[in-house]
Amino acid sequence: MADIQLVGLTRRYRQGSHTITALDGVDLRIASGEFTAIVGRSGSGKTTLLDVAGLLLRPSAGTVLLDGEDTAGLSDGRRADLRARRIGFVFQEYNLLPALTVLENVVLACRYGGGDRRDGRRRALELLELVGLERRLGHRPDQLSGGQQQRVAIARALVNRPALVLGDEPTGAVDSQTSDELVALMRRLNREEGVTFLVVTHDLELAARTDRIVRLADGRIVSDDRTSLAASA
Amino acid sequence: MLGVRRAPGPPPAQEVATGMREILRNLMRRKVRSALTISGIVIGIFALTTMGALAEHFNSLLNVGVQFAGTSIAVRPPAEQANGLLPLSTQAELARVPGVAAVYPTYQVSADPSGTAIQLGAPSIVDNEQRGVSAYGMPAVRFGAGRDLGVDARGEVVMGSAMASSYGKHVGDTIDLPVAPKHPRPDFVNHRFTVVGILARSGTPIDQFASVSDDDARMLLADTLPPAMRSAVDVDTLAQGFAVYAAKGTTLAQLDAIAQRINDTVPGVETQKPSDQVASFESTSTTFTAVFTGAAMLALVIGGLSVVNTMIMAVGERVREIGLKKALGAHTGQVLRDYLLEAAVIGAVGGLAGYGLGLGLTTLLNVLGSASNLDIFLVTPRLSAIAIGFAVAMATVAGILPALRAARLDPVTALRSL
Repeated sequence: MADIQLVGLTRRYRQGSHTITALDGVDLRIASGEFTAIVGRSGSGKTTLLDVAGLLLRPSAGTVLLDGEDTAGLSDGRRADLRARRIGFVFQEYNLLPALTVLENVVLACRYGGGDRRDGRRRALELLELVGLERRLGHRPDQLSGGQQQRVAIARALVNRPALVLGDEPTGAVDSQTSDELVALMRRLNREEGVTFLVVTHDLELAARTDRIVRLADGRIVSDDRTSLAASA
Repeated sequence: MLGVRRAPGPPPAQEVATGMREILRNLMRRKVRSALTISGIVIGIFALTTMGALAEHFNSLLNVGVQFAGTSIAVRPPAEQANGLLPLSTQAELARVPGVAAVYPTYQVSADPSGTAIQLGAPSIVDNEQRGVSAYGMPAVRFGAGRDLGVDARGEVVMGSAMASSYGKHVGDTIDLPVAPKHPRPDFVNHRFTVVGILARSGTPIDQFASVSDDDARMLLADTLPPAMRSAVDVDTLAQGFAVYAAKGTTLAQLDAIAQRINDTVPGVETQKPSDQVASFESTSTTFTAVFTGAAMLALVIGGLSVVNTMIMAVGERVREIGLKKALGAHTGQVLRDYLLEAAVIGAVGGLAGYGLGLGLTTLLNVLGSASNLDIFLVTPRLSAIAIGFAVAMATVAGILPALRAARLDPVTALRSL
């Protein structure tokens, strides 16, 4: 596991003749094993922060440090390698490949991770058992419920033992009961496996069950508070 | 350390298998579209295979012609001569020309003068055997059954495989040559021969030939002369032409020189330069190759455009999948490879199906046409490799632009596309 540091992150977009500043000098440090929620209104810069932290987007200024190493000067290929080995993603719309089975979707992440294939498959089976889908290995995504698909996505995010898992509204497409189950799963993985989570969410109940809530507005951090859950831990 | 340098090498077998499964399942997700695209390739490669088989057959016949033309010099009566016969004594004059190693008189009569069968291959011919010509560079004949003619034997014939099959003859059978028409004229004459040997199939005009001794050939020649000439002419002193051979390994240019010397020094004959004959055969071969190339272009247009269209649509539908793969760590090159492979698989499936249909049809037509000497398709290993290889290559090239488009997608934009 590793420390993640966002240092002076700024990201600007051109929109016609205007320049939009989605992130404005964000400084944030995520310690290993933390479960952090990023909240804020639409347009506050949450998703952009996630994209930059996940090395999907290059900042206009500032950098992302993984274990103290600067990622700013890395090539696209090296950034892709880092995403494969050190970062996991959980998306709102699951983003499972419809042509692959549950097991194949999880193992897909190993294709780019560069590790031992047999170890990856073993790890995939362990994770799918952990998320309660050991009897669904051969199912296709269209044969699963939304909650089950998101569990697969979580397993996929963890198969390469990443330093950080980024969630973009991971409970946004499921009902409340399923949302509770997913949050409980992530919480368990965080506590028992020590997985570091950074999730963007509108779900305040999810946010309350994290260790830390970072609020963004207009591309800046306006508050950064530890939750009562963390305080009582 | 962040040193996660990784050179993406060739994927292990299991990954290739998973990749292939993904490709095939993606094709099955759009069954109608995939079927239509593959059908376009099937049609094109089917045309390529059948037209190519036709071209290969005729080119193989022409290649034999090239081999013969490039190894011997055909000596004929001058074009203006009406009766088309030469004195046998010319053989000795030809033998004295510098560079000449052997001279054979040549005789050829039609084995089936009524010509009822449609011939798209070589005609059925009875000629005289040229014993020992393999010593001068001609390909040696191989026997499928029986033996060669006896020296100075009369009443014996060695048949080519196709001719024997056409007339249903085996070693030991007899055949009357030339074959009598349905309603022969009162003065029609033929002679009974015993089949002593049948040549192995060679795929050349020789399969349609029957060879007899010189004396029997002259006897058959006499039967073809006008009645008024038969009594006035002693065919035992005549030949229809001569085949002149040089030492084995003589070049085409050297043969041309010998032919020129014959034209310059031997009266009453004319030869064509072997190189001119070879060029003539090769020119005809070029025509068949052009037909084959035309079929290939047809396959390219039909199949290639449909693959481009399908792959563009596939990339458009799978933008989010591409974004996901990039988020998971796929390099641009890996995305490019995945989509090129998908295009290649489409080409391979269509190519194999089109080739299979072409092979099946040409085989069936050959079987049905063999009795009438209409087995005119030849699917060679070269043609097979070209047909399937072309399909794969064409589809892969057609997939380049869509694959590049996929590889260059921005992952953030792709992940959040609708």
